Amino acid sequence: MSDSPEDTTDAAPVAAQDLPEGASRRLQELEQGLFTSDLSVNEFLLIKEVGFHPLGLVMGSSIYHTGIQTRRWGQSQELTKLTEAMYNARELAMTRMEEEAAELGADGVVGVRLDVNYYEWGKDAAEFIAVGTAVKAESGQSYRNKLGKPFTSDLSGQDFWTIMQTGHVPQGLVMGTCVYHIAHRGIGQTLGSAGQNVELPNFTQALYEARELAMTRMQDEANGLGASGIVGVRLEEKSHQWGSHTIEFLSLGTAVVKTSDDVTLPKPTTIISLDN
Amino acid sequence: MDATPGPVTGPDPDPDDLGAPNPDGSDLPEAAERRFSEGAFTSGLSVSDFAACLQMGLEPVGYVQGYCVMQWRWYGAGVQYAGWGPSTTRSGGYSEVWQCPHGFVSAEHRSWGQNYEQTWIEQAWTNGFSASLERMLDEAESAGAHGVVGVMDSTQSLSDMGVVEFGVRGTAVRVQDGPPPHDGRPWSTYLAGQRLAKLVEAGYAPVSIAATVASVRVWANCITQYLTEGGAYGWATQGATQEITQTANAHMAVRRLARQQVRDQLGSDSLHGAAMSTTEHELGEGDAELQCTLRGNRVRRCAPFAPLPVPRPTVRLL
Repeated sequence: MSDSPEDTTDAAPVAAQDLPEGASRRLQELEQGLFTSDLSVNEFLLIKEVGFHPLGLVMGSSIYHTGIQTRRWGQSQELTKLTEAMYNARELAMTRMEEEAAELGADGVVGVRLDVNYYEWGKDAAEFIAVGTAVKAESGQSYRNKLGKPFTSDLSGQDFWTIMQTGHVPQGLVMGTCVYHIAHRGIGQTLGSAGQNVELPNFTQALYEARELAMTRMQDEANGLGASGIVGVRLEEKSHQWGSHTIEFLSLGTAVVKTSDDVTLPKPTTIISLDN
Repeated sequence: MDATPGPVTGPDPDPDDLGAPNPDGSDLPEAAERRFSEGAFTSGLSVSDFAACLQMGLEPVGYVQGYCVMQWRWYGAGVQYAGWGPSTTRSGGYSEVWQCPHGFVSAEHRSWGQNYEQTWIEQAWTNGFSASLERMLDEAESAGAHGVVGVMDSTQSLSDMGVVEFGVRGTAVRVQDGPPPHDGRPWSTYLAGQRLAKLVEAGYAPVSIAATVASVRVWANCITQYLTEGGAYGWATQGATQEITQTANAHMAVRRLARQQVRDQLGSDSLHGAAMSTTEHELGEGDAELQCTLRGNRVRRCAPFAPLPVPRPTVRLL
């Protein structure tokens, strides 16, 4: 697919043969100068202001079959198989999006959205999609991350402008996940504490641990990128289609690296709006 | 669970008595300690809040969190009312009895009504909330933070289990070139970014988040019941608009109780950005359970008031 000799971007596209044929045709068209983006006008102007140019809308997707794992009715435990499935599927979608961006010779992808879709035709399958706008620095300086890949981030155009003013550069959208089964309470336990409002330390611990695991995994990814921090961390909890006792804890954020100590953000001006 | 309480670090040791979630004696789950021993900082702030915090010299250290799952039963409901006379409320706190003016009783006629404060629910809420808060502050303290900004709290009922999970989360920060808090315990605030900057500029320092719940149960007497039903109750209303005194009193009481509870937490400090919300849970004709939540930021004056610069008027060209 991408064996064209003029393809001399500094880092060779990672396993670009993964991409469907439609993608390479679309990307070839984009390379001729036309760009597509889902940026708003304001976002576009801010990205231009900070010295970047949008190259094209890039995406990646993966339909993943999640395996079956037995859950013990009365036990709180991590469901490692489901954790792996949820993690790998997102990772695959992201990697394919990165490949598309690399094809375009991009420095990074902004405004990445990560969605999960369930379809009627595949009960145990889920489609994971990553979509974002690939951007490239106009100065020609490379903003790719430590791994030589385009950075990814869920930052909006406004956020991207602001973070650059603080002397930080995005390195990648990092995530960690943990699928946890919360024990059912036996009748004995329920009766034992009926009529009292008391803490249930086992439950506290199980949920607490699951969230910490998700966050640790996210941080591991950031460390792998040599990041100095993660901004905009979100912790999401979803039961997807597993019933109420199985919960996925997903933590997500943009890893950034500090490139300068200067915060060039001007002192904010106080304003009063005369609109109603 | 290990019954030995963890090291008492905070000014208020009570929440520690609930039992630490980690059996090895530390207050934090194992994974939390692993997380903080690693390099990168994490921040739950939006990028604009993050930038504003950097600008005011607050350096994010890590996203911190604390949780507490409580067994939760509304067991005040359904057992206390007896048609023949007011029950004792046992709970202490606010209570008020409403008698029937009609001078006759029957099994269907509610000759007694009462409002009372459900102190056990307030207590359970306070325990769950403050245990989560203390655990979050433990995480912040172990990360070497001076304070926690952008705090968010939540209560979540865990499906069919009759349990409620309390959660408190925020971004721990260090004040650049600043001294650690003098009692070692990080401060906390719901504010972040520019909202926090404005507060500090006005001469206030954050102390902690403050939140409380007041709960009042209404058992309607005959008049309240008929008025709430909206039915014809000839000899009381004569068709005129009339206040339902029992319900109105309960609404006033629940708000007064919430304000009083927060005032008791404040000492000589003030409450900034208080937000009050009341929910009514209807349980029958005139019977209800009222819950009033009050949250805000406890702040302390640390510098004379310095007004912000005169704002520049703007008009958006849409």
